[in-house]
Amino acid sequence: MNRILVGSVDDIQEGHPVFVRSGVLEIAVFRLGDEFRAYRNRCPHQQGPVCNGTITGTQVATASSGWVPEWVREGRVLLCRWHAMEFDLETGERIRGRGERLRSFPVSVTDDQVFVDVASRSRLK
Amino acid sequence: MPILTGLLRRRQSVGDLQSSCSGYSSGWVVDTKVLGLEDLLIVDCDVHVHDPPEALAPFADMPWRRSMEHLGGVKQRYLDIPGYATSLNIDPPFPNDGVNTRHVTTSTQMRDELDAMHIDIGVLFPDNLLRMAVFPQTDYAAALGRAYNAWLAEKWVRCDRRLYGAVLAVPQDPEDAADQIRKYGAMEDFVGVYLPVAGVRPLWGDRVYDPIYEAASEMRLPVMLHSVGLIHPNFPFNVDHMTSRMTRHPIQHEFALMANLFSMIGSGLPARFPELDIVFTEGGISWVPYVMWRLDKEFAETPADAPMLERPPSSYIKEMYFCTQPIEEPDRPSDLATMIDLFDGRDHVLFASDWPHHDFDHPRAVMRVPFEAEVKRKIMGETALKLFGISRPVTTA
Repeated sequence: MNRILVGSVDDIQEGHPVFVRSGVLEIAVFRLGDEFRAYRNRCPHQQGPVCNGTITGTQVATASSGWVPEWVREGRVLLCRWHAMEFDLETGERIRGRGERLRSFPVSVTDDQVFVDVASRSRLK
Repeated sequence: MPILTGLLRRRQSVGDLQSSCSGYSSGWVVDTKVLGLEDLLIVDCDVHVHDPPEALAPFADMPWRRSMEHLGGVKQRYLDIPGYATSLNIDPPFPNDGVNTRHVTTSTQMRDELDAMHIDIGVLFPDNLLRMAVFPQTDYAAALGRAYNAWLAEKWVRCDRRLYGAVLAVPQDPEDAADQIRKYGAMEDFVGVYLPVAGVRPLWGDRVYDPIYEAASEMRLPVMLHSVGLIHPNFPFNVDHMTSRMTRHPIQHEFALMANLFSMIGSGLPARFPELDIVFTEGGISWVPYVMWRLDKEFAETPADAPMLERPPSSYIKEMYFCTQPIEEPDRPSDLATMIDLFDGRDHVLFASDWPHHDFDHPRAVMRVPFEAEVKRKIMGETALKLFGISRPVTTA
């Protein structure tokens, strides 16, 4: 296991990812409430620096809402700064995409210190 | 980093212009060296310089210099400045707008950012003046065109030997545009003629523009059509009733290019100016077979409508050039190769990124089309070098 120390729990705030590097891998660690997610800073679309993008929400309209657009998931959507492609920060999946997803890594917390395991990919659902 | 030597075209002395070329790196581009594009020669046929009115003002004649100085003091929205870059934008601001809007303000910044994408040569187009065809005042439009060309010469193309200009041809004043083409086309720093598409009336191909086609042919410069998002009464920009940018944007680009190509074929332009090379930018490539086959069908039924054509429209269209951006992204990249082959496009497709605009393509987006290496080399740069008359650059480690 190759664990990288990201910082203390309090160092990582919502909306302000912390970046760490392991060789050619640049990884951003996001805080989502009491949980953390770590993604490679590379968009699956054209490989732009996706984690430098904007954290925002998205608009959807479904039959259950009578096809009325709703603004949802504020703070849980990452927009790539290259082409504004939307990714779900909880899962790393592109929202309403073709199966694209960000490469994710396991995050663990020990004694209030946050670590990323860069030796393997995360098994996010 | 590629190093270019031995430019075939005669170039003007760079001179002592470095002082006007200062710049900075914006940090928008990530270093992609690990992705293996560094050894490939890449010519980018469409990159955009930011052209605010206050920058061009010193190059403009009075009274328009005063107008542009005034506009420079007005709060500006993204490529939307009334009286200068009129988009007639009817959309409200939206939370995610602007996340990927960018400007390139100096030649140094452009060079740094193209280098980061392993792009060796860039052909420059404007930002704001993409919308200049809509101005009803001929004198103002011509003054803007002259100011842009002079500014581009001094502040951009002379500052970096790997940046080339396209002479802005003002459709409102074809005679003045022809003079500009002859003036700047004599300089090795300019390799094409930019034809503004957004809102242009009549469409390109009309005989009123013959002085422009004649000058471009004489100077052996390809004409390069480029559109932009615009809402305007002139077809096909009358899309005010459409409720989203997603639906308007392809019409403002691809449909507009198609309309102008229809007009060019209908007016017999490629027959009347057989030496004129015609380039379509920012429309992708998948519409080309449709236009080709549709016009052939019409021509077969009503050949009298195009008496100047000596052969079916498709044979002329296959001699034109089509830039890749925004490259289509089908599930199977091989479909793009098939599409290009449908119009015999292996020697007539040119890479373009459209940097730094919101829908730019990184070179790797085009490299994924599964052509053999020889065809990729043509599309990514060799065909453009030949078209623009630039010698093959030599890359070194």
